[in-house]
Amino acid sequence: MKRITLALAGNPNVGKTSILNHLAGTSLKVGNWPGATVEKKEGRVEFMGYEIILIDLPGVYTLEPLSEEEWIAYRFLTEGKPDLVLNVVEASNIERDLLLTVELLEHEMPVLIALNMVDEAQKLGVEIKDRWLSELLGVRVVRTNGRTGEGVRALLQHIIEVYNLKEKPKPLHYSKELEEFLQRVREKDNEPKATLIRKLLQEERFRSLREEIKRSFGKEAYEVVKDERYAKAHGLFREVVERRSVSSRDITEALDGILLHPTFGIPLFFLLMFLIFKVSFDLSKPFMDWLDGFINKLIAPLTGLLLTALGAGEWLKRFFEEAVIGGVGFVLTFVPLIAVIYFLLALMEFSGYLPRVAFLMDRFMHRLGLHGKSLVPLLLGFGCNVPAIVATRTLETKRDKLLVIAMVPFMSCPARLVVFSFFAVLFFKNPAVVIFSLYLLGILVAFITAIILRKTAFGGSLYHFVMELPPYRLPTLRLLFRTVWVYVKDFLYRAGTLIFSASVVIWLALSLPPGVKRPSESLAGYVGRAIAPVFEPLGLSDWRITTSLIPAFLAREIVLSSMGTIYSAEVKEEEKPFELSEALKEQVLAFGKAIRSALINILSPVPSAFKVEEEEGSLKAVVAQALSPPQALAFMVFLLLYTSCLGTVAVMWREAGKKFALLFLLYSFLVAWLAGFLTYRGFILWSM
Amino acid sequence: MKLEEVELGQEVVIVDLSGKEEVFKKVEAMGLRRGRRVALLQKVGRNLLLKVNNSRVVISKDLARHIEVQ
Repeated sequence: MKRITLALAGNPNVGKTSILNHLAGTSLKVGNWPGATVEKKEGRVEFMGYEIILIDLPGVYTLEPLSEEEWIAYRFLTEGKPDLVLNVVEASNIERDLLLTVELLEHEMPVLIALNMVDEAQKLGVEIKDRWLSELLGVRVVRTNGRTGEGVRALLQHIIEVYNLKEKPKPLHYSKELEEFLQRVREKDNEPKATLIRKLLQEERFRSLREEIKRSFGKEAYEVVKDERYAKAHGLFREVVERRSVSSRDITEALDGILLHPTFGIPLFFLLMFLIFKVSFDLSKPFMDWLDGFINKLIAPLTGLLLTALGAGEWLKRFFEEAVIGGVGFVLTFVPLIAVIYFLLALMEFSGYLPRVAFLMDRFMHRLGLHGKSLVPLLLGFGCNVPAIVATRTLETKRDKLLVIAMVPFMSCPARLVVFSFFAVLFFKNPAVVIFSLYLLGILVAFITAIILRKTAFGGSLYHFVMELPPYRLPTLRLLFRTVWVYVKDFLYRAGTLIFSASVVIWLALSLPPGVKRPSESLAGYVGRAIAPVFEPLGLSDWRITTSLIPAFLAREIVLSSMGTIYSAEVKEEEKPFELSEALKEQVLAFGKAIRSALINILSPVPSAFKVEEEEGSLKAVVAQALSPPQALAFMVFLLLYTSCLGTVAVMWREAGKKFALLFLLYSFLVAWLAGFLTYRGFILWSM
Repeated sequence: MKLEEVELGQEVVIVDLSGKEEVFKKVEAMGLRRGRRVALLQKVGRNLLLKVNNSRVVISKDLARHIEVQ
């Protein structure tokens, strides 16, 4: 099969992603450009015996390499050598978009133009003579509607024809004077205009030529090229666009009047965020619980039966049941949450609201040195750090992204609330005050972390604000579901495998050497004893506490159940015999219940994520005996700040790299230790 | 007059961009160039929301300070 590499290029917000989605369908994959935090989308489509590889270039206004995005686009065009470039042009902003088109034509490779969202342009009174545009440039122009997918399939036929006929655009001509200068830097016959311009403007050996240009044009060589490009784009625009005056106010203007209102805009944002928070966590929680039960109460025992039938030993059987199946189940429980949050984020993004959040919130966030959009992941962090870190993908620059990723884990999530309420109720007269102070401490540490990072790793650059607000558009459900699928797939492949392997390692630590019945005899018990001195200054030198931190790395709330088993040293209770038909019936009923409680959750005004279930009394009695209030507070502070959450570390690994994730884990441990130490000592001094 | 001083709803023409920083290349590519008409739609905090042809562009005042309009 013949393979065609196609690069999609266009300005930001022109609907490039939607067109890619319609072309690639479910084959779409997301990743990062090598060595960059800029997202790379790739897909493939088979058509008439050809395999077309679709590569989405970052959305840019110009190919002049200013930022990371433009570098990536420029480098891919010059070094990646795509067979064809699909230039997506938004009809209503064609004048601006044509600048990029002109710059693409300088590369002298086959180009195809998708004239997108013609219907929107018509409403604004912009009529485009697409045949004439095609004639002028020697480039095929295809009308598309990225929202509905109309016209997108027709692109495929053209892609193959352009490829087979090796159709090249008409050569681009700038003014005679400039062309003469460009010819003087030519060394090879086949050098495209883009290369000539780069050499003329940048290479040291042509400095005298640049001075000559300055003398004859009366302005810098760079300015000359820029002005000629703009003149070309403007000339094309004048040729192909007819304008009618229209008086109707468009929907975007009307909506902006409300959503960007100086006084109502901000309360509306918080209301929307509250709804998103509620819908995502409340809707997914029952399904997460159901999945957990389905895996552990049905799939795991079934595997156990199968293994027993095959004659596997007890330890091996438990390994498969608890570590392997349990690990897969653990990964899967994240999926409903990730999917729902992605759906809502994609809706915010594609509808055009998300960029407006940046504009609205910038007034508060820029004082902290953060992008306006940072508030969305930070708020989501209170629901669950894992999707919150995934949500930092909506931030454009690497700096903003890493800053927010380093802040999110200090936003206290419901897993921590479970632990806090257990300890706070047990040891303190005013548990609410204690818990509230812990939340504040987390926020404080997040901002201190941001300040430290800004003063060290991400300092220096002055931070301006420039962005475009796209028109409001209602995305189709198909587009939203596909986007969700692409990201869920990515989560399973990248973060999921990491979460799974680490959970197996933790299981092994608790179950080796083979045959251990009690945690105290296991590998984890030994490790717990070995690290106990480290926690001495925090008043937590009891090996039972340090050992319970090991399984708690899976998720913080596990600390309670692991303390339960370690403190009471009870051997796991004998399970009732497994019966397939019973278990199956139970799971079907449980699924119905999950749907019902998801609906009930949505209707109740308080986010159910913050309702904490009571822990059993026996653990309370033991823990109350074993710890003093200063120790309990130090323990809570430690668990608040230390990233004791495998899911968070895994997505951080995926989003920001291995080095960042591991360094952050170490940092959070040190901060947690220090804060725990100060809390413990301070508490003791104060109560003396 | 500087773009920073434009009143809400006012429509002006860009006369000159004096900023030398790289970011002005992007600002120009987004359509804020000499001779263009822009209207101020909204001011929030340190930012201006401008209408440039059919697109809406947000720039901060520290950039608008370097754009001369009339």
